[in-house]
This record gives sequence, C-alpha cells and structure tokens, in this order.
Amino acid sequence: MMTWSIAAPAVTAAFLASLVEVVEAFTILLAVATLRGWRPAAWGTTAGLALLAAIVLLLGPLLDRIPIHSLQLAIGILLLLFGMGWLRKASLRAAGIVPLHDEDAVFAAETAQLDQQARRQQRNLDWVAGIGAMKAVLLEGLEVVFIVIAVGAGRGLLMPASLGALAAGVLVLGAGAVIHRPLSRVPENALKFGVGVMLSAFGVFWTGEGLGVAWPGEDIALLLFAVLFLATGLVGVTLARRIDMEVMQ
Amino acid sequence: MTVLREVAAELIGMFVAERRLTIAVLGIVIVAGCFAKLTDLDPLVAGIVVLVGCPTLLIESIWRAARHGVT
Repeated sequence: MMTWSIAAPAVTAAFLASLVEVVEAFTILLAVATLRGWRPAAWGTTAGLALLAAIVLLLGPLLDRIPIHSLQLAIGILLLLFGMGWLRKASLRAAGIVPLHDEDAVFAAETAQLDQQARRQQRNLDWVAGIGAMKAVLLEGLEVVFIVIAVGAGRGLLMPASLGALAAGVLVLGAGAVIHRPLSRVPENALKFGVGVMLSAFGVFWTGEGLGVAWPGEDIALLLFAVLFLATGLVGVTLARRIDMEVMQ
Repeated sequence: MTVLREVAAELIGMFVAERRLTIAVLGIVIVAGCFAKLTDLDPLVAGIVVLVGCPTLLIESIWRAARHGVT
C-alpha cells in the first residue's frame, strides 16, 4: 500500500531532479531555436522523446522480472553513486570551490558551438541543430527516467514519480514559453543539493532493504537518513569553505 | 556513433562523479553485503555500515577536492 511518508519524498525527489534536468535541456533547445528556429528544435525534441519512449518500452518490462531484493540493491547502489555525486558537486559549488552552473553561459556556449559545428561539417544547419536538440532531450531525459525508476520502482511508486517528473517538465516548458530566455534564475545548485540529499537517503534505504535490513521505523527511517545527508552536505560545505580560505591565505 | 558514444559517456558520468568516491562506495556496499550474507550478525549491522560509511566517504571526498582543488 502506498504510504505518504515514502510517496511524498519519491514524488518530491522526482519533481525537483526533473526540474534541474529539464531546465538544462530547455537551455539547449532554446539555443537551437534561437539559431535555427523552432522547427529543428521541435523535431529534435520529438525524436529524443521517441527514443526515450522506445528505451523505456524495451527495458521497462524487464524490471518486473528482477527479484525485488536484487532490484532494490541495484537501484540503491546506483542511487548512492548518483545522489552522492550530486551532493558532492553541489557542496563544492556552494563552497565556491567549483563555479556555479550558469544557464546564460551554457546558452551562449551552446549557440556558439552549434554555429561552429554547422560551419565545420558543411551540413544542413537545421539538421545539425536538430541533432543537438535530440541529444539534449535524450541525455537529460535518460537521467529523468533513471531517477523516476530509482525512486519509484522499489515500492510500486512509478506512476506518482512519473507524474512528479511530468509536472516539472510542464512547469519548465510553460515558464520557458512565456519568458523565452534561459531559466537562469532557477536556484539550480540549491535544487541539486536538495535532490542529492534525498537520492542519497533513498540509496541507503534501498541498499539496506536489498541486503535484507529491516530498518527500524520502516519508511520513517528514510526521513532520518535525509537529515543525516543534509547535515553531511552542510558540514562538507563549511569544511570546504574553511579549507579554501586557508589555501587562499 | 557519436551520439551513442555521448549517451554511453553520459550514463557512466551519471554514476561516476569521482572515481575514488565511486570505488569507495562500492567497497562499503561489498563489506556490508559480506556482513549481511556471510555472517550470523543481524542484517541491520550491514545497514549501519552503509549508513555511517557513505556520509563519511562523502565528507572525505569533499575535503580532498577542496584541499587539492580536484573536481
């Protein structure tokens, strides 16, 4: 049975993580549309979504054939690697060790790169731009698909997690359609930090369940793990800032 | 082929943010798995190994990146 204590973190994690990924994909789609118009951006997006759908339809049914403990263990390990990677990077960015992700800069770089690539390859510019859009949708989409499966598959929450991701997509595309600029005001690092915390917590939870651990407090343990990773990330930021100041002196 | 290569690189990059951290996390899970499957200890011990080990590894990885400027 679906409980809110685990469904809410799953839906929230899927929504926030997808928000980050869709913002990144949107920046590239906007660069394509700005350079060559909405047509190559639209067909690139459609082709990327079709490829994603094919991957999901092809591999999705395999999930049902994997024993639940093996599935939980595999997803738990992947979530630990993915979530801790995000939390590490967000902590280093928050501490100023790594530059913040700048959507305006990405937009400018992507536009210049597409332009350069089209000139170098001497191909139809629309074709090159469309392939760029397709790659963006496919690559960012793969991360969304992984996150939805990872937070949803272990407890039959695929549908709520998918709806969370879909809501993020609608929100970003809606906002993008209105303002026609890269969504550089989205607090991407804070989102990445939060999602890193949640995914790492899910990672410990599922890895434990996959190993046969009966967590005390069951689903409530997930919230305690999130608090632990939040504290770890904050300690990491403080530590990194202190070391950076020492190195500067 | 370029697209396929980029997809493969992206997939690997999703899980290997930093090689040393990735290997260490996998090591922690293997140790926890040994506790859970090869000993008579309560599986909760394996869970605690993961729960304590992963945040510790994360702090170490952030500390090392800040100290050496490695990203």
